[in-house]
Amino acid sequence: MKKLTPYFSFIFMLVFSAAVQAQTAKEPWTESQLIATQELADQINAPGKPKPLIINIGPQAVIKGSVDVGPGKEKTNIKALEKTLAKSDKNKEVVIYCGCCPFDKCPNIRPAFNQLKDMGFTNARLLNIPKNIKTDWIDKGYPVND
Amino acid sequence: MKKIKTVFLLLTILIFGSKIQAQETRIRTGEMAPEIELPNIKGEKTALSSLRGNLVLIDFWATWCAPCVEEQPELKKLYTKYNHLKSGGIGLEIFGVSLDNKKEAWEKSIRKFNMAWVQVSDLKYWTSPVAQTYHIEALPYNVLVDEKGFIIALNLHGKELEGFIDSYLKKE
Repeated sequence: MKKLTPYFSFIFMLVFSAAVQAQTAKEPWTESQLIATQELADQINAPGKPKPLIINIGPQAVIKGSVDVGPGKEKTNIKALEKTLAKSDKNKEVVIYCGCCPFDKCPNIRPAFNQLKDMGFTNARLLNIPKNIKTDWIDKGYPVND
Repeated sequence: MKKIKTVFLLLTILIFGSKIQAQETRIRTGEMAPEIELPNIKGEKTALSSLRGNLVLIDFWATWCAPCVEEQPELKKLYTKYNHLKSGGIGLEIFGVSLDNKKEAWEKSIRKFNMAWVQVSDLKYWTSPVAQTYHIEALPYNVLVDEKGFIIALNLHGKELEGFIDSYLKKE
């Protein structure tokens, strides 16, 4: 029986890692397209450096200097997002964020990120907010709109 | 001597600092529920303490929070069932605090779900000071407050919430 244990654990690991992979494969973004809150805050705070175009696709534009297009779950807002980006360089760094809820409960990030992909933005990123914009941004003292 | 002075100074700062922390609101059972005074849908300031004398469910929600919206018909049932118990004793009151930021969406939901209970909001989304005061990490979130204003339960939902309210009001 002892001999079998390593085989079982190996199979278990295989199944488990496949399940994890299947979960990540479902999302329209890749791990490298996520941007950490600290990184974005540093970009905003750094004087004289080129800043990404930051777009709120959630209920409210909390982040300093971000453009508000409204919740991505509504088609009219996706149209607004398209219009906002119509004249932008496709290689420009564009960061979208919501922050209403954790990713698995957020209805806004997927339609918005897909729109960026469809429009061919090569440098599209999603702000990695594990809980919400209060806990992961405001409470950390990162720059906010007045 | 200088060293001793520094140590004393450090100790004072430490003690003083911890006192300040202790003064911060603590959201846990047995503590007094911090006051909330925010405008209702008509813009009139309404205080949580105005419901004192009842069992009060503070419901933190928002129209952009799907699980919060799904919970509203359940809250309606609880309100209908336990609010009238007031006569001769205490009943259930709900103090709805919305973290919405668009008044139209908030108003529409109140009408849609026919929420007959108190509804307040400063329409400040996650930047609302009340989210700080109550240390809200995620929605939906709720706090049950007894007739004297003390917190008696945190974040109960579904059957657990109903069971708690039912046994509390029967006990009274």
